[in-house]
Amino acid sequence: MTCDETRELLSPYLDEALSPDERSLVDAHLGGCAECRGELEALRGTIGLLHRLEPVRAPVGFVDRVVAAARPRPWYRRVADAVLLPLSVKLPLEAAAVVVVGLLAVYLFERSPELQQAARGVDQRQEAPAPVPPREKPAEPLADKAPPSAAPSIPAPAEAPGRAAGARDRADTPGSQDANRQITASPPPVAAPSPSSGPVPTPASPPPALSSPPAGSSPPPAVAPAQEAKPLAKTEAPGENAGGAVRPEAESRQRTLQTAEDSRAAGSSAKLGAKKAPADVVARVAVKDRDAAERELTALIERLGGGVTQRRREDEATVVEAVIPQPRYAEFSDALKRIGSWRVEAERPDLPAQIRVVLRLQ
Amino acid sequence: MTYQHRVFGVALRMLGSRAEAEEVAQEAFVRAHRALGEFRGDAKLSTWLYAITSRLCLNRLASGERRLRRQGEDALLRLSDAAPRPDAALERRELESALGRAIAELPEDRRIVVVLRDIEGLSYEEIAQVLEVELGTVRSRLHRARADLKEKLERFLP
Repeated sequence: MTCDETRELLSPYLDEALSPDERSLVDAHLGGCAECRGELEALRGTIGLLHRLEPVRAPVGFVDRVVAAARPRPWYRRVADAVLLPLSVKLPLEAAAVVVVGLLAVYLFERSPELQQAARGVDQRQEAPAPVPPREKPAEPLADKAPPSAAPSIPAPAEAPGRAAGARDRADTPGSQDANRQITASPPPVAAPSPSSGPVPTPASPPPALSSPPAGSSPPPAVAPAQEAKPLAKTEAPGENAGGAVRPEAESRQRTLQTAEDSRAAGSSAKLGAKKAPADVVARVAVKDRDAAERELTALIERLGGGVTQRRREDEATVVEAVIPQPRYAEFSDALKRIGSWRVEAERPDLPAQIRVVLRLQ
Repeated sequence: MTYQHRVFGVALRMLGSRAEAEEVAQEAFVRAHRALGEFRGDAKLSTWLYAITSRLCLNRLASGERRLRRQGEDALLRLSDAAPRPDAALERRELESALGRAIAELPEDRRIVVVLRDIEGLSYEEIAQVLEVELGTVRSRLHRARADLKEKLERFLP
């Protein structure tokens, strides 16, 4: 091993970084070479000098500056997270927004009578069919037994198509009624005085459409006793027991109704038209006692041969919907003045034979 | 933050300027903080920090801008401004100054090896890991560096 080769290894030799083989070779050379031993010592001394260097200390405040420099990062990341981590934040927000919109819609609906009015038209159409069936059943038995006298419940004027059909079927089977009676039978729907009845009693469009006598037969007793023939005609229609005297009037009544109907809704669809028909008169009545006024109003309507079709109590008003025979309308409005001061909000220019009135008692 | 002095020391020995050293040391810690997730458990934290610091220093030294203003070496001479003890004041100041200059004059790739080995006390294996070079490369670079220093510091040797 030459001196150059040996000196190459002196540095790692001092660091004890040589393999055992290399180390023994270096040892062997050093044993016989004073120059290389001198070189080794000089190298050792140099390393010693380096070790004597004062340890360097970071300047005061260095750590603070590092922390300050490092902090912005997490801060930006946090902002980024807030913006970019949507699902955990956005989903609940969106869900809450949907709920709020829904609640707002309900709130607005309840606050605005116009909307409710519009919705009610739909409700009535839906309700109409329901009440029909129950009425039919009792009607048939009653028709035979019950006298035509007075019965509050009268078959709904505008009946569901189903009922009309059923009526027709029945007409065949019983077939006992004669043509005249059939005609009279149909009118009942018009009267529709029954207060509880949901169906719209509007100008009974059905008369023409309803060829079924059975339908009419059910109307046991006509509305109120005092009622004149006109409204009663319907009830008496069943003809079985109906007083003869009534019939003629009923017929005439019937005819007027029919004409009215024809003008409004053509052909067989008249029934539907009647049901959809909006109120003919909308009025607001200022009263002191809503309950008392309602009772008075109900009595008045019945006395005039009309019928209450629906009543609804709201927080601020009682809404009564009724049908008033057109000839009695003037009388009705006079009488109404005694119940409270009323103000017409909307009125159809050409009032039909059966005027549909919506009154808000406040 | 017990590593602050060591990281700063390496940067100072390599760059010669306290201001630059602090800049680099700070950058090293910020990078380490960001890349903490990449830190491999098989290496010592100190080794990892040395690696980041060494790379930053070598990159800075390699930049053309830095090469133009080589007067940084003057700064290396003023490296140690720690007040020496009165008795050995003169000699010590002279030695520090000579050592600083000698180190500053070493080629960068040798300078970093001698700093890491003889000042910071890393093993050959650790240096190889920090600089990502072969063990033999560490050995030869260290040998050349020490040989250079020995010649320049001969007058201080016994």
